[in-house]
Amino acid sequence: MDFSFSVSGTPEVDLKDSYDVVIIGAGPAGLTAAIYASRAQLSTLVVNKGVAGGLAASTEWIENYPGFPEGVSGAELGRAMQAQAQRFGAEIFNGEPETLDIASHPKRIKLSGKDITTRAVIIATGTTPKKLNVPGEAELTGRGVSYCATCDGPFFKDKQIVVVGAGSSGVQESIFLAKFAAKITIVEFLPTIQAEKILVERFEKTGKGAFILNHELLGIEGADKVAGVRIRERSSGSERLLSCDGVFLYVGLAPQTAPFADAVGLDKWGYIEVDSSQRTSIEGVWAAGDVTAGATRQIAAAVGAGATAAIEAEHYLSSKS
Amino acid sequence: MGMLKDEDKKYLTEQFEEKMVDPVPILLFSQKLECEYCQPTEQILTELAELSDKLTLDIRNLQIESADAKEFEIDKVPAIILLRDDKDQGIRFFGIPSGYEFSSLLAAILDVSAGTNDIPDDLRAKIAAIDKPVDIKVFVTPTCPYCPGAVRAAHKIAMLNPDHIRGQMIETTEFPHLANKYAVYGVPKTVINENVQFEGTMPDQAVVEHVLAALSSRD
Ligand SMILES: Cc1cc2nc3c(=O)[nH]c(=O)nc-3n(C[C@H](O)[C@H](O)[C@H](O)COP(=O)(O)OP(=O)(O)OC[C@H]3O[C@@H](n4cnc5c(N)ncnc54)[C@H](O)[C@@H]3O)c2cc1C
Repeated sequence: MDFSFSVSGTPEVDLKDSYDVVIIGAGPAGLTAAIYASRAQLSTLVVNKGVAGGLAASTEWIENYPGFPEGVSGAELGRAMQAQAQRFGAEIFNGEPETLDIASHPKRIKLSGKDITTRAVIIATGTTPKKLNVPGEAELTGRGVSYCATCDGPFFKDKQIVVVGAGSSGVQESIFLAKFAAKITIVEFLPTIQAEKILVERFEKTGKGAFILNHELLGIEGADKVAGVRIRERSSGSERLLSCDGVFLYVGLAPQTAPFADAVGLDKWGYIEVDSSQRTSIEGVWAAGDVTAGATRQIAAAVGAGATAAIEAEHYLSSKS
Repeated sequence: MGMLKDEDKKYLTEQFEEKMVDPVPILLFSQKLECEYCQPTEQILTELAELSDKLTLDIRNLQIESADAKEFEIDKVPAIILLRDDKDQGIRFFGIPSGYEFSSLLAAILDVSAGTNDIPDDLRAKIAAIDKPVDIKVFVTPTCPYCPGAVRAAHKIAMLNPDHIRGQMIETTEFPHLANKYAVYGVPKTVINENVQFEGTMPDQAVVEHVLAALSSRD
């Protein structure tokens, strides 16, 4: 047996009354911003719900982040980024803002009943898996419908799985699911596979995989747990039921902007608009990573944007003081 | 070879040194045979307890010390209980706290050592007022990054009223019969008093509301 032990739990912090910078979100973008800000000796608070590392932490194995020739586990990478930020004094608060006024000077944030102020805010809240909102999806979530292969994969040992979405995420997670499942069928809306070739080859090598392209998912069936998916061939319109025990959806991502949506400028898909300095429409507020409009949704890109945001915030603060 | 990496040991030693206030005795119920995860759990806890003078580990055998097991309501192993001044804090880990759940264990240790946690005062009052038994089961897998959030909430709530509330982490893959019984196909899944359940993580306040709902729907 092979065990790992994550020490990345965020210790409780004694919140100060005010900070130079508050970063919201501790994915790769937020943690990188925290490394730069705290190393520049700004008092830095990171507010994060969920685990350090964000979406990257829920990815089994990452092969395209530089510095790790053999690849690195997402959990390990998140842990290391967190440790690096904490080393320079960044505090990490586990939770989310209860209220938030980022347009004021200073900016006000309420955390766990306590009001704090900050001179600058960096938004790095990333994305969350999109739902398809087909019949059965909501009802059967947690009953065979899942958005997290690393979480729920172990429940599908020797079972039949349908993965919806043949993008890189879907195929990558299917390779992980192949450790458990007997068979994995990837259903894709488009007539072609969008995923990187290297992933497709690896998926095919598991010997457990198949693709069904140009099919639309109409619904997920099952009484108290998943029994199958109903799909339709898009050119002929013919429908069929594919029986399976689990359905994992990788159909895209939606930005997590709810707490700021009324304050900062968003593009038509709801991503935060930023300029080349990661500045948002509000003074003293930057955004970085997957939550921003036009982002290349990769860890390497999120890390770069996080660094830019923190450096720009530092310039701004030193010009103000 | 040790289970904890040297760099993690160093980090944890510093964390414990800096953050632990009062001693935390860890009680582990285990058994030698027919328990795949007992030996590795004994090992990881032994390594952990070596990192601070304030941590002690007491390993008991489920069969031999069955009276103790009964007192702590332990019916499966491995089972971890954290104490404070010999008093049960309502915190349970069933199954090995590996992967992300190791961080749940570390956080629970620090809370118990401090004798408090970050639940705000208004919720504390609601939790303290509970005078009927509440059992919060949180089903997890070690590879689930969202699970510690749900486990933490259950443990924090239990700790504030340990005479009535139990917060249990259950490592689902080790107890398939429970996974079956509670129809767990996705984690985290929380089951409160057999009658209220929800999937995913929620803010502490919402979890407290579910606890209160579980109590009122039983009356
Ligand atoms: C299945 C899958 C596989 C992937 N594989 C790769 C890969 O191999 N290589 C690669 O480079 N990229 C990969 N990616 C993409 C990569 O994960 C993202 O690009 C990266 O994580 C984005 O980082 P981020 O910091 O912008 O946001 P995120 O990682 O999404 O982090 C955002 C954080 O903010 C928190 N948050 C959100 N709202 C709030 C709030 N209101 N209050 C407090 N906290 C909040 C979230 O909980 C989260 O922790 C993959 C993505 C998926 C889904």
